[in-house]
Amino acid sequence: MGGVEDDEPASKRMKLSSVELRGFSNGSAFTEPIAGSSRDLNLMARPLPSEGDEEVIGSKGVIKRVEFVRIIAKALYSLGYKKSGAYLEEESGIPLQSSVVNLFMQQILDGNWGESVATLSNIGLLDESVIKSASFLIMEQKFFELLDGEKVMDALTTLRTEIAPLCINNNRVHELSCCLVSPSRCGFVGSPRRDIVKAKSRSKLLEELQKLLPPTIMIPERRLEHLVEQALILQREGCMFHNSSDKDMSLYTDHQCGRNQIPSRTLQSEQLLYDLCGVMVLALKILQAHTDEVWFLKFSHNGKYLASSSNDRSTIIWEVDANGVTLKHKLSGHQKPVSCVSWSSDDHQLLTCGVEEAVRRWDVSSGDCLHVYEKAGLGLVSCSWHPNGKWIFSGVNDKSICMWELDGKELECWKGQRTLKISDLEVTSDGKLIISMCRESAILLLDREERVERFIEEDQTITSFSLSRDNRFLLVNLLNQEIHLWNIEGDLKLVAKYQGHKRTRFVIRSCFGGLEQAFIASGSEDSQVYLWHRGSCELIEALPGHSGAVNCVTWNPTNPHMLASGSDDRTIRIWGLKDLNVKRKDGQSNGIHYCNGGT
Amino acid sequence: MDVDPRHYEHIAINDNDIHNVVLSYLVHNCFKETVDSFISCTGMNQPADCLEDMEKRKRILHFALEGNVLKAIELTEQLTHDLLEENMDLHFDLLSLHFVELVCSRKCTEALEFAQTKLTPFGKVKKYVEKLEDFMALLAYEEPEKSPMFHLLSLEYRQHVADSLNRAILAHANRPSYAAMERLIQQTTAVRQCLGQELGKDGHPSFSLKDFLKS
Repeated sequence: MGGVEDDEPASKRMKLSSVELRGFSNGSAFTEPIAGSSRDLNLMARPLPSEGDEEVIGSKGVIKRVEFVRIIAKALYSLGYKKSGAYLEEESGIPLQSSVVNLFMQQILDGNWGESVATLSNIGLLDESVIKSASFLIMEQKFFELLDGEKVMDALTTLRTEIAPLCINNNRVHELSCCLVSPSRCGFVGSPRRDIVKAKSRSKLLEELQKLLPPTIMIPERRLEHLVEQALILQREGCMFHNSSDKDMSLYTDHQCGRNQIPSRTLQSEQLLYDLCGVMVLALKILQAHTDEVWFLKFSHNGKYLASSSNDRSTIIWEVDANGVTLKHKLSGHQKPVSCVSWSSDDHQLLTCGVEEAVRRWDVSSGDCLHVYEKAGLGLVSCSWHPNGKWIFSGVNDKSICMWELDGKELECWKGQRTLKISDLEVTSDGKLIISMCRESAILLLDREERVERFIEEDQTITSFSLSRDNRFLLVNLLNQEIHLWNIEGDLKLVAKYQGHKRTRFVIRSCFGGLEQAFIASGSEDSQVYLWHRGSCELIEALPGHSGAVNCVTWNPTNPHMLASGSDDRTIRIWGLKDLNVKRKDGQSNGIHYCNGGT
Repeated sequence: MDVDPRHYEHIAINDNDIHNVVLSYLVHNCFKETVDSFISCTGMNQPADCLEDMEKRKRILHFALEGNVLKAIELTEQLTHDLLEENMDLHFDLLSLHFVELVCSRKCTEALEFAQTKLTPFGKVKKYVEKLEDFMALLAYEEPEKSPMFHLLSLEYRQHVADSLNRAILAHANRPSYAAMERLIQQTTAVRQCLGQELGKDGHPSFSLKDFLKS
């Protein structure tokens, strides 16, 4: 639809659009020439096109003309183009709203409460309960406006004679009663209902009334925008390898990250290219510093560091920047292999856990060990920070979960949850839920404040799990080589399953990643890194390269194009993803981190 | 149905004890003239300022039950300076009674003002908030007797508040706040019910005071 110049006045541009819409909608070319002569266009002088009287428009025959015109008119009005809206109503002969409704709306905006209630009963198609609910809302507005104007006795009269007799929503009536005695701040100290303060604006009232009335009578606000957004979101979800920003989406064409046909699979020392149907994956760097199997990996929240822990009883903090990934600190001190690490929310400190041993807290910039947390006679098996940075959680091998202050003072202990030898423990970023392995095939979600427990039950043994960044989903790795995605908001629901990787003997970890966490990555015992598209569950690729089982993967939270994997072959591989579509657009590299050669 | 008399026949009872029990009931409920004649009939020792106290209490409770709560409050303060200050719950209940009076006599403006000045200060403490909200709700209805909160207007409620007031005044004067008679009956009922449960259905049927009095 190109060719509309930006310096044209708004009203003329809108006229052009509505004609184009009509022309496109019947699938045929224009009968009148438009190009270059938009300034001369005078719609009123031209005869109406031939399809003027059809009830249904669009190639699929599902759009009703009357509805279509009305929501366009509504959109014009809400965008502020009142004249255009009025022209449309006149020219199409389809009024946006009946005159009774217009009267009603005007009465609301003018504050003629009694009259508006009377008009309400004149609008057809309304049943008793709707009229009552609407009257309630209107009288409530009157009540609050009186209170705001310090007319307390009038407000009381309204409450008694106009609101209470409706006999609906008694609780609300009682709340309003309380407002009478403390008009400055409705509700009392400690009362949970403190959101009923001042009178809302009349246009807000109109919006709420619109929601009550059937949409045929009053078109909902922003309906056209909503429909268009639905279409865009649908396109985006249908795009398999979508890893680019939403700002790239346009209304002019359907969105799709392009497929790439390249066959090139050049194998250079540490640079391997894989065809990912539009997304290339490169192994950017191989990090060799551990002297034994790498068991756990995690990027810091700010994406600037990577922590890796190993069977060699050490943990390494790597620094990630534009030049590449370099070793910053090697943290020694554990007497046992280190099975997991946890970054504090500000990334200044790191927790590490030795298997059935102790938890250590380290300062990231100096590499010093700040504290060792132990329980006499027992071993700790997992660790996690509370988002407030003041408390630490740890699973203990006596089946309990322990909570400490930073100085080592034990605050709380939850007993009875089974914690395995190498276990997982996560705390949601709002501090509300503790998630832990509970039995072999169950995960406990413990709400600390409400003291409510929920359980995810699986048929198979669970080996590990991972929490999404928005705290809404949990990725669970199972013994039978499946990865399950659970929705943990409200009722627990199994949402998706991912398969293809191999797991027989060891703990294999998976994670969320990519823009808006739209990908799932997992390690595998066949030495490959597996990538799935989260929404469609389709396996995108299995990446070879490691020479031993890949135990863990982690995705950089601030760089959706960077992924790290740790393996029994003692190395860590940093992978980069590149969207070729983006490259084609501006012809330049889109800024992934290239490093030179090996370690 | 009575317990086998052989279980208790042998327990000796002192006449004085019985007199005291009866007297405690009469004093608790301010039956002044009855107390007078009872004492003279039984030749008991009359407790010192008992009669005067009773008279004052009687007046206070009468005003409270009748619907003149403010007068009741005034007299209470005269009798015992800091009773209501120490007894926030009671104070609140009394004030709310007055509020109810105003609502019932349809004096809405006065009721609203009274609520704003006297009742809302209680709203700062959490436990009164719910009660307050219930009372406030009465204002919304033109016929409060037909509202969901109608129980607040009932005689039972007023009686309940008057009883609390009675007990508070007695406690303040270091007198027993419950009539011994009342306590005895309560305890007997509890014990009998326990026995009935332990011995099962074949033992004794559950205790009923009514039946006992008839038998």
